[in-house]
Amino acid sequence: MAATASHQAFRTLQFHGCFNNYGFPQECGNASVRLISKGFKINVGLLRGGSYCSRKRSFSVIRSSTSQTTVLNPVLSPSSNNEPKKKTNEAALILIRHGESLWNEKNLFTGCVDVPLTKKGIEEAIEAGKKISNIPVDMIYTSALIRAQMTAMLAMTQHRRKKVPIIMHNESEQAKAWSQIFSEETKKQCIPVETAWQLNERMYGELQGLNKQETADRYGKEQVHEWRRSYDTPPPNGESLEMCAQRAVAYFKEQIEPQLLSGKNVMIAAHGNSLRSIIMYLDKLTSQEVISLELATGIPMLYIFKEGRFIRRGSPPGPTEAGVYAYTKVYHFAI
Amino acid sequence: MAATAFHQAIGSLQSHECFHGSGFHLESQNASVSLVSRGFSVEVGLLRGGSYCSKKKSFSVIQSSSSQTAVFDPVLSPSNKTTNDSKKKSNEAALILIRHGESLWNEKNLFTGCVDVPLTKKGVEEAIEAGKRISNIPVDMIYTSSLIRAQMTAMLAMTQHRRKKVPIVTHNESEQAKAWSQIFSEETKKQCIPVITAWQLNERMYGELQGLNKQETADRYGKEQVHEWRRSYDTPPPNGESLEMCAQRAVAYFNEQIEPQLLSGKNVMIAAHGNSLRSIIMYLDKLTSQEVISLELSTGIPMLYIFKEGRFIRRGSPVGPSEAGVYAYTKGLALYRQRLDEMFQ
Repeated sequence: MAATASHQAFRTLQFHGCFNNYGFPQECGNASVRLISKGFKINVGLLRGGSYCSRKRSFSVIRSSTSQTTVLNPVLSPSSNNEPKKKTNEAALILIRHGESLWNEKNLFTGCVDVPLTKKGIEEAIEAGKKISNIPVDMIYTSALIRAQMTAMLAMTQHRRKKVPIIMHNESEQAKAWSQIFSEETKKQCIPVETAWQLNERMYGELQGLNKQETADRYGKEQVHEWRRSYDTPPPNGESLEMCAQRAVAYFKEQIEPQLLSGKNVMIAAHGNSLRSIIMYLDKLTSQEVISLELATGIPMLYIFKEGRFIRRGSPPGPTEAGVYAYTKVYHFAI
Repeated sequence: MAATAFHQAIGSLQSHECFHGSGFHLESQNASVSLVSRGFSVEVGLLRGGSYCSKKKSFSVIQSSSSQTAVFDPVLSPSNKTTNDSKKKSNEAALILIRHGESLWNEKNLFTGCVDVPLTKKGVEEAIEAGKRISNIPVDMIYTSSLIRAQMTAMLAMTQHRRKKVPIVTHNESEQAKAWSQIFSEETKKQCIPVITAWQLNERMYGELQGLNKQETADRYGKEQVHEWRRSYDTPPPNGESLEMCAQRAVAYFNEQIEPQLLSGKNVMIAAHGNSLRSIIMYLDKLTSQEVISLELSTGIPMLYIFKEGRFIRRGSPVGPSEAGVYAYTKGLALYRQRLDEMFQ
């Protein structure tokens, strides 16, 4: 049994190239691998997967435990109840950044303009869905923008559990009344979807709709670079990353974290800046670190919330790929 | 020239199988064709295409006029000024209606109503297919309901559009929402298609049946009662809307918000639901309540109307871009498509 476990562990230690959509080179730190074969428990060093690169962050060791088989999907276990989940107080948190929008394609500053996905963005959402098809989801949070909402809904068409996402409507008394469900059994099969402007992309003020060349011509290259890449300098009538982070993280703490605390598995489908802001909070990054943080589009990031801490699990590989969510970089084991 | 026109006209009179989700059988009537070749003016009888079946409606002859050349997309014509003038003069506009495809609760056979349930993979594909069929028809404004399945249908369909203008969902729910969604480039704005979401275009609200499965409901209330709620014109389910109530708010919205756009020459697409769209069609085609309750709309197959001189002319279902012939293109639509071909060659 121990030998089999070791063998499986080795097989899962595959090399993942680290790259992201921005062509950002990854400094992959050395990963040390200690294989402690206690039943199925494995300690591995985590390579930051293709979804998450930060130049300055030092390499951290993540413990990947395979002993909680029933925690992550109590519904599939024979007794089909939620009790094991409450005891362990562990919950999955999935973050998905939406894919290509029609203005990305045209190289226009988008911000909070509500631009939909391109064909490519749609495919990215579906691919993302395949990667998380086996991870339980009890609640979904998205921004108020269609590109994030579509990303969530398209991703969930791939989900194996077949619970049904239902968008909550609270914009008026009538909206609330009209969206009521009258079957308890049906409600149990629902995944509530909350839309929140606080998860919107950073509001880009007077740059919204301008193309990047025009803007450089109008304001000068350096000024534009500062607005785009600084932490606390907003574009005219827009938000700085700091301002975006303030409202996104506040929302996360007030609305989302309590769900995780109660053992609910959560998916957040949102935008580059609102998600970095949340990751800044989850990983306790400095403002310097967060401004060099680039998130890949359409590649889900998994965290496990346990005992009040957020454990980064990298990027789920998808149902057809062997192994779990922790990869080393350096060592490729040939056995 | 006349021979060519005739040939084209014959080519376009294809028999369309009439089918849709509910297996409703079309009684195909004879179409008479009178070809009056004055320049490009052609009168053809229109066979009701695959998207629209009504047992009781008698067959109507549609006049297809091909004289409005530049109406549909002033942006593409060489001289913007003259086209705007001719657009206002001819006052013709395209109206596309699309019913969304399969939702996750359709698949589970649950009464949905206004519960905001998204599309299945199949529903996503249906939306994309619908988009291919309208890829050559100009769209200046989009109206959808406030439910994601209709909104996604519109956005997915528009990914197939050849003109490449960008749909932008407008936000008016608060001052902040409005301010935050502002666009600061005039040129960019010109390339936008505003998308307006409206609860008045929502599906009929099904009250206490929402979320119940059809069998459960029949067991709970009795088969006949359920049948009456589903198929009558003016009997609502408990705390829900009758078709009449749905029609009242949907048609009022259409009259107040959408028709003025068409009057000003804007081409409009509406992505909505079975009952809200039938209600609008009831208005467009002047159907009786008896006729509307037997009206079944295919999912994912767009219906085209031409709005001209205050009248709505039903044009059936646009064929997909790879299919031969057209169903009844006006000259204006044909020229629009030709310009798209030239742009993207």
